[in-house]
Amino acid sequence: MSSKAATPDLPKYFQGKWNRKSYHVLRELGRGANGTVYLVSQDGVRRAVKVGVEGMDILMEVNVLKSVQQGRDSKVGPLLCDVDDLVVNGKACTFYAMEYLEGEQLDRYIQQAGTEWVPVLIVQLLARLDVLHKHGYTFGDLKPENIMVSQTDKTVRLIDFGGVTKQGSAVRQFTEEYDRAFWHAGDRKADTGYDLFCAAVIMVRLTVGKELWKSSLSEPRHTGLLCDIIRKSDSLYPYRVPLLKAFHGKFASAGEMRAELLTVLRERTVAQPRKKAPKPGKVGGGISGLFVASLLLLAGTLYYAWFM
Amino acid sequence: MKEATLRQILVVTDGCSNSGISPVAAAALAREQGITVNVIGVIDKSELGEKGEREIRDIAEAGGGLCDIVYPQQLAQTVQMLTRKAMTRTIHQVVNKELKEILGDSGIDELAPDKRVQVAGMVDDLGEKSSLNVVMLVDTSGSMKPKLSAVQQAIHDFSISLHSRSGQSRMAVGSFPGKQKHLDIRIPWTEKVQQAHQLTSDLAMSGITPTGPAIVEAIALFEQDKLPSTLKDRYTDEEENDDMNGSLRDHVF
Repeated sequence: MSSKAATPDLPKYFQGKWNRKSYHVLRELGRGANGTVYLVSQDGVRRAVKVGVEGMDILMEVNVLKSVQQGRDSKVGPLLCDVDDLVVNGKACTFYAMEYLEGEQLDRYIQQAGTEWVPVLIVQLLARLDVLHKHGYTFGDLKPENIMVSQTDKTVRLIDFGGVTKQGSAVRQFTEEYDRAFWHAGDRKADTGYDLFCAAVIMVRLTVGKELWKSSLSEPRHTGLLCDIIRKSDSLYPYRVPLLKAFHGKFASAGEMRAELLTVLRERTVAQPRKKAPKPGKVGGGISGLFVASLLLLAGTLYYAWFM
Repeated sequence: MKEATLRQILVVTDGCSNSGISPVAAAALAREQGITVNVIGVIDKSELGEKGEREIRDIAEAGGGLCDIVYPQQLAQTVQMLTRKAMTRTIHQVVNKELKEILGDSGIDELAPDKRVQVAGMVDDLGEKSSLNVVMLVDTSGSMKPKLSAVQQAIHDFSISLHSRSGQSRMAVGSFPGKQKHLDIRIPWTEKVQQAHQLTSDLAMSGITPTGPAIVEAIALFEQDKLPSTLKDRYTDEEENDDMNGSLRDHVF
């Protein structure tokens, strides 16, 4: 009974026990903590099917996907198509079928398309998160592997809803690299700030690339390390204010963070020909204030670490 | 079914037990008393070996829990995930049992999927709100030495996870082998673990790994916690000739 859902081998063809829809299995797409996702064909239409051993975990995901889909145009994640059981070796397994999103994982997409896409896609991501938050959920396990850039319209969609948590509960799943508690920047209660923290770390991680990212992570983790990276990166530096605010949980909503990123993005595009846009004094004051705050936090963490 | 207390033992080890009662039998004993046993195998460069892997699986199976084999870096997130999944499973079983009593033979699995989705929502809620007591048992025999800083990090991290829950949570940490007994209590029952706790200091140097005896001794830790009186009444009526809370046949609700 491993937690890495040891999914039973699917037959090449199966039919749902209740809704009697039939599926042809084409290939495996990936494995999550709750189950395995397969590419299937259902009456000639391609779908993704997620199968897991622990039916409850799968059904909890369905629960979230359902409630997010009440708003039609939301496009937060894949559309849910079917929920049913299939029988493998005499044992019933719960599965759900969803729209197959053809595209690239966010980090791979950036590798191909270039880092100038990072702020554009993060802005989109924040719009998706905003919808999810308005439905009362936190995504939780936000990481590039769970974010998809669709091939056709270059839009960002969230996949793998296994970590999605009701606001106020403890986050169901997380990845240390992006986890707020692991960075000593707060607890693991599902709230807006938790996802925004992850989004900010993802933005840093994707902009600086894998090698620099890995080498910059020393223990103990604290957001001061992230600030160092931002200070040294020409592409991240202009976004320092919204990023720091996300690290310190200063945004009330994903929409707010999105608006601030957009403002910087626009200013940058307009001011591109010049080498470096002069900093407006007022904003500058706010920045240094925030940097002082993060330094204080750093000092606090070091003090903390001393006694470890 | 409003207030639930879930009880778990989480074993963190890197090899086979080699002393005392079989850990699989000890896990079965724990399960018998309403305590779920989860196991995490921590590996470095060296593999755990077929025998070690098998033992980890068998302990979890007998203890009604889950297991995983991970590298030290993944320890913290695995601890949290295993605990939560095992909780969900326990609640699922209890809800299922109650449903069977109401509906006759058919339990949750016989419900249509869209009805089951609603049950899943309820199970999720119960899991979040129920009280949770976890004893973490850390193998501190020789080969675990290099991994102990990761374990220490995971303990502190787990405390943050527990603290983020809505329900009441407590944890205790023990290490085995102990100095005199099989198990030394490093951190007694607490709601929040301070970062200052040192696992590495004052360890018993020994080549033996008494996983089974450590589990048996950990069961005794749960006997100290009192059941809420209403639940106690409910269960003591059912149990005949019973002299302690620890031997409840089922999960405590």
